[in-house]
Amino acid sequence: MRLERVGRRYGLGGPWVLRDVDLDVPPGSLLRVQGANGSGKSTLLRIVAGVDRPSTGRITGRPATAYVPERFPPALPFDAHGYLVHLGAIHGLRRTTAGRRAGEWLERFGAAGHARTPMDELSKGTAQKIAVVQALLAEPRLLVLDEAWTGLDEAARTVLDDAVRERVAAGGAVVFVDHDAWRLAGEPSGVHRFADGRLTAVAAAGAEADVPRVVVEASGPGEPPALPGTPGYGPAAPGRIRITVPAHESDAVLRALLTADPPWHIRAVRPEPGPGAAGPETGPGSGTGPADTRGDTG
Amino acid sequence: MTALVRYQAALLIRSQRWLPPVLLYGVIMAIGISSGQPLLDSLAFAAAGMLPVAAWLVRVCVTNEPPAARACAAAAAGPGRVHLSSVLTALLAAGALGAAGVAVVAVISDAHTADRRHVVPLGPAVTAGLLAVLVSALLGLAVGALTNPPVLRRAGWAIPVSGLSALLVLVIGGSPANAAVSGLVSGSQTGTVGLPLVPLCLAAVAAAAATAVACALGSRR
Repeated sequence: MRLERVGRRYGLGGPWVLRDVDLDVPPGSLLRVQGANGSGKSTLLRIVAGVDRPSTGRITGRPATAYVPERFPPALPFDAHGYLVHLGAIHGLRRTTAGRRAGEWLERFGAAGHARTPMDELSKGTAQKIAVVQALLAEPRLLVLDEAWTGLDEAARTVLDDAVRERVAAGGAVVFVDHDAWRLAGEPSGVHRFADGRLTAVAAAGAEADVPRVVVEASGPGEPPALPGTPGYGPAAPGRIRITVPAHESDAVLRALLTADPPWHIRAVRPEPGPGAAGPETGPGSGTGPADTRGDTG
Repeated sequence: MTALVRYQAALLIRSQRWLPPVLLYGVIMAIGISSGQPLLDSLAFAAAGMLPVAAWLVRVCVTNEPPAARACAAAAAGPGRVHLSSVLTALLAAGALGAAGVAVVAVISDAHTADRRHVVPLGPAVTAGLLAVLVSALLGLAVGALTNPPVLRRAGWAIPVSGLSALLVLVIGGSPANAAVSGLVSGSQTGTVGLPLVPLCLAAVAAAAATAVACALGSRR
């Protein structure tokens, strides 16, 4: 699916929430949209999901789509299973298939006991599970998740992570927004930053030099843990690693190191000197600089 | 579309928001119709009363779903088709209600002209009554589609505009609903039953056009 110069504003004279947005969503892709609260990420996701229509521009090649909204109200006069069968049928499944898959997904999310609970009696967390299951039921070719993890318990978040990986592995596309920068950071994904109504691709593999990068040095026993994002490994002393990561991934990398088993000790964190800057590329930091971060687990 | 209509119909039935418009129809019928009145006059009343009720049923159906739930269905089927399914559900509900009304009228009314001199044939009269109710339901649908979300978003505007429009469409000469109702009333004078086929075609075109406009705006927020 492709968005070409898509714009959206409410009313004729309203401000542009989206402007000249170009976005390619090829099959098998995982796209993360970043942006401040209120920047219009939800509007962008609604347009990607086909729920809202752009004021300008065009969208071509829309595949079968499913959408999980930011807030899902359980004020529907169905029980959970009944609602899921209706939605499965709307997604084009036979009712028996929809019913069977609804049961399987509810089981996987640990909500099988709520299949016959009226929707308006569900807890927020369980209602969110229903919202997620209705989107996963029909194995959509495009899955749009607007902070779908919010409100889910830890186990359900992991299930949703896995479900997203399964969708992508099966050739489906997933577009998502989440507060947690760590979310699915280990997957090869396109990251897009949304600000002032415009969408810009954030370099995924350090291809763009203008993305601020951070050098992390750490020491620890044995093999370093698998790191999320797109770290570049540099030369380092034995028992140490020096990693260069885009600044927005540094928190996730640090967390991976600190929570590794056994944990790694962070020696230094500092901004990477720019290509033109003659900044001293010093050895392992002593942990005294203002930009340094120390792990307290070493 | 079948799955969507089934979903919307289940929403309508289980939400019990169908109750107020159905009660309104019951009240209209109770006021205007009583046992032993001339058949065609009562059928005319049943048809006229359907128009505002159908407009209300459209309002119930298109506003029945919380926006987020509607978004989930719209991602799967497209916002226009979701809106069409809710309007169709309203039409089905209005049709069922109207058919029940005509059945009651046929049972309790006197199959004679207004002056009781001539017999009115029951079969053709009931057919004409059903068609007239359908004309009214279609025009009520058109009014409802154009005076509710996504065309008119605010309830403060939508409800009075909807009510006034329904009234106007009923009383203005040349409106298909007015023609169908008048046809039944004059039939009750003369004893000849004519089927309101031209008004039916016009009403169907109006309903289709109004629904198309509303569905095209279905993805407007």
